[in-house]
Amino acid sequence: MEARQETVEIPEALKVVFARLEEEFGGRLLGSSFFRGELTFTVPVEDYIAVLKYCRDTPDLAFERLDSLLGNHYPGRKEAPMEVVVHLTSVSKNTRLRLKVMLAEGQSLPTATGVWPSADWDERETWEMYGIQFDGHPNLIRLLTTEDFEGFPLRKDFPLQGTVGGRIRTDLKGKI
Amino acid sequence: MTDFIFLLIKAILWVAVGVGMVPFIIYFERKFAGFFQSRMGPTYAGPWGVLQSFGDMAKLLSKEDLIPDWADKPVFRLAPYILFVPAFIVMALIPFGPMGVEIFGYTVDLVIADFDAGVLLFLALGTVAVYGIVFAGWASNNHWSLLGSLRSGAQMVSYEISMGLALVGLIILSGSLSFVDIVDGQAGNFWNWYFIPQIVGFVIFYVASIAELNRAPFDLAEAEQELVAGHMTEYTGMRWGLFMFGEYVNMVVVSAVMATLFFGGWRAPFEALDFIPGFIWLVGKVLFFVFMYMWIRWTLPRYRYNQLMDIGWKIFLPLAIANLAVTALIVSVN
Amino acid sequence: MGGAPTNGHAHGAEAVHRPTLEELKERKIRTRQRVHEGQETITVSMGPQHPSMHGVYQAVVDLDGEIIVRTRPGIGNLHRGVEKLAEQMTYHQFIPVTDRLDYVASFAMNHGYCEAVEKLMGVEVPRRARYIRTIAHELVRLANHILWLGVHIMDFGAQTFFLICFRDREYILDLFEMVCGARLTHSYARIGGVSKDLPEGWVGRCRSVVEFLPKRFDEYERLITANRIFNKRARNIGIFTSEDCNAWRITGPTLRSTGIARDLRKDEPYAAYDEVDFEVAVEYNSDVYDRFLVRMKEMRESCKIIRQCLDNLPDGPYLAHDAAHVLPLKKNVLRDSAAMIQDFMHVLRGPQVPKGEVYRAIEVPKGEMGVYIVSDGGPIPQRLHLSTPSFYHGQAVPPMFEGEMLADSVGIFGSIDVVLGDCDR
Repeated sequence: MEARQETVEIPEALKVVFARLEEEFGGRLLGSSFFRGELTFTVPVEDYIAVLKYCRDTPDLAFERLDSLLGNHYPGRKEAPMEVVVHLTSVSKNTRLRLKVMLAEGQSLPTATGVWPSADWDERETWEMYGIQFDGHPNLIRLLTTEDFEGFPLRKDFPLQGTVGGRIRTDLKGKI
Repeated sequence: MTDFIFLLIKAILWVAVGVGMVPFIIYFERKFAGFFQSRMGPTYAGPWGVLQSFGDMAKLLSKEDLIPDWADKPVFRLAPYILFVPAFIVMALIPFGPMGVEIFGYTVDLVIADFDAGVLLFLALGTVAVYGIVFAGWASNNHWSLLGSLRSGAQMVSYEISMGLALVGLIILSGSLSFVDIVDGQAGNFWNWYFIPQIVGFVIFYVASIAELNRAPFDLAEAEQELVAGHMTEYTGMRWGLFMFGEYVNMVVVSAVMATLFFGGWRAPFEALDFIPGFIWLVGKVLFFVFMYMWIRWTLPRYRYNQLMDIGWKIFLPLAIANLAVTALIVSVN
Repeated sequence: MGGAPTNGHAHGAEAVHRPTLEELKERKIRTRQRVHEGQETITVSMGPQHPSMHGVYQAVVDLDGEIIVRTRPGIGNLHRGVEKLAEQMTYHQFIPVTDRLDYVASFAMNHGYCEAVEKLMGVEVPRRARYIRTIAHELVRLANHILWLGVHIMDFGAQTFFLICFRDREYILDLFEMVCGARLTHSYARIGGVSKDLPEGWVGRCRSVVEFLPKRFDEYERLITANRIFNKRARNIGIFTSEDCNAWRITGPTLRSTGIARDLRKDEPYAAYDEVDFEVAVEYNSDVYDRFLVRMKEMRESCKIIRQCLDNLPDGPYLAHDAAHVLPLKKNVLRDSAAMIQDFMHVLRGPQVPKGEVYRAIEVPKGEMGVYIVSDGGPIPQRLHLSTPSFYHGQAVPPMFEGEMLADSVGIFGSIDVVLGDCDR
């Protein structure tokens, strides 16, 4: 089923966001979309941190908060199956913005912890669930699963049955 | 020989009462807690649950006695006893009736030991009890226990001083360090009791005694929310039970001391009521103070460690000294 | 008993000093200065089996005496892979799973999820359903805050208050039991409305509860707000300024205690919040005590909202009539062939969802919960992400603890209201 045609006008505040981002980064942005009142930009990997900083520091945009950072996996997209989605929120302007970065298999992304410390756990979770590396992350270790967990469970090709992930450690018997 | 037999009878009787009261005080504490918290408290063991404490005791006694491998074992075993043995010694000092009573033709003093420096001994023994907690925390070799005993040690040091100074005013007033003499000094109706001239001393003593007993709002040593169980973290079974037991015995003893020093001991509030035995008055007063401890425990949040020190050093100590000075001045002018 | 003068009753008429951001930062720096590098420390593990740690959160803290030097948080003990589960089931089937996120306020979780799905599908929720959702959401907020309050005061050592709060929470749980049969895991919201209409007599009973609870709150105020020990304990600890809150994505009452009137019920209204009159509770000191005050105010506001909703409760359907997206009314399924086919289609295949992605955040009792759904047009989501408040609140513990005393750590942790089901997902 195709997406319905949006008839809603883009709100004024988001128009400003759109204009400022287009003006600053122009042709380097890979695309934008508007669905259900939400503005999405696709950002190239090189500009990712610059866009985040720009969104945070520009008074017109004032995205003070990183609402969430998460990964996604599209096995169908051969050249760039991985994706990192960032939601920004402006408390003062009451707007939201979504940024997407598409990544090839094994491609890493610079960490956002320098821009927002709250990205720390989000990036750890994204790494353990999708195997997306974040360069410069201070502590990129498993967060929610056990330390000896194998594989990246939220990938679409992660097996739903079997004992690949949380296997029982028999090699530690008698040592604990 | 008869003296010795009477001494033995008195000692057994008094200890039996002191120890026998503890299960019921624990039961009352739980019932009161239930009352404060809109619930029932223990109901199943015996009529209205009165046998609950005995059941608990049987359970604790039948538990395995665990001592951690890394503990300092002799000290670990010794610690619970240090906590409550001094309490029993203090009990010996407390008169529970008049001197020289005729019983079956014998003249008996209704006190186990009329020690001349009784108040001093009480203060000294109160300081010994803290060793129980410090030893327990140290011997357990556990960080939580260590923190608990550190807190407890610091707390005792700061409150012992105010507690002692609060009593000095009273000693000046009565002119004696003996519990028997102090009670005699409060003869007559209740307006002769020392809590009226020494109200400041009494308040300081009462609050300091809560800190001494490690009860809320000063239960920093075992602060469950922060330190798991403080000095008792590694204790199980009856050794843990002994700590509990020691806490309640201490509570009874301190209440008895407070009743003796400030509230006329075994004396009735009015001379007309003297026909009721002094023993009953004393137990009644003890129960009243015990109830006050419970009331405070189940109502108030806990102080922080540094705030407790603040109160001890910055408020109670100057207040106790001021109280002492004023009392000394009035006594010397009179 | 000395110390800083307390202005006792916070709702007094006297002008309350509002500290500036610089003052708050100064206070925070003063706390941090208690940490001296290079001191010998001892390490203790608070949690996951610490008796008063909230849930299975682990905070390994390095202590210099009683001062916390460093904190290493650990979560994941309650991780159930909710996001992976969501990719295996239809949009309807996922609703009971959301109950298990924040099990203290499970209706709020249902509601947040359903709002997101409705935004994705473009379902119009009937007015009565929106009112019922508002009432239920505020009831669950009351239940959450009352439970939080009891536990929080117990963190400071007052045991009785905990059970007093549990007693009052019962009234709200009873209301939920009447309306959906469950006391804790409600699963009451449905895509396009709610699962059942309000039963007979419920409105009157709910009204009596919300008339009665403010009297209880007065009792709480007498017992706690003016309590000297609580004042001394909770003021000026765990300061987290508005800047810190934004940097660490702290939302909800903790954010509002820093003077920012951010409340999605006002800012991005959903359900019937744009039709009721209420105030956003704001305080300015950014400390543990002000977070307590914000929640106290919020509880009174919740009662106000519920009263208004009960007064204006409209008639009409409680579930949207939308065959492509919404389950049919259960009572019609065995009588009406169209409804039966609709039921079969939804249960066997799932709803018909447009392609696209939405992010919908609502104000749950603990903060802002965002639900991000990516749909590839099938009956199950391609990706569902829940950015739950407790996850970020748990993350912000190390900077909050730094320089504070061990005795306050549990109180500070309690003040940001973390539920581990919500945190670990």
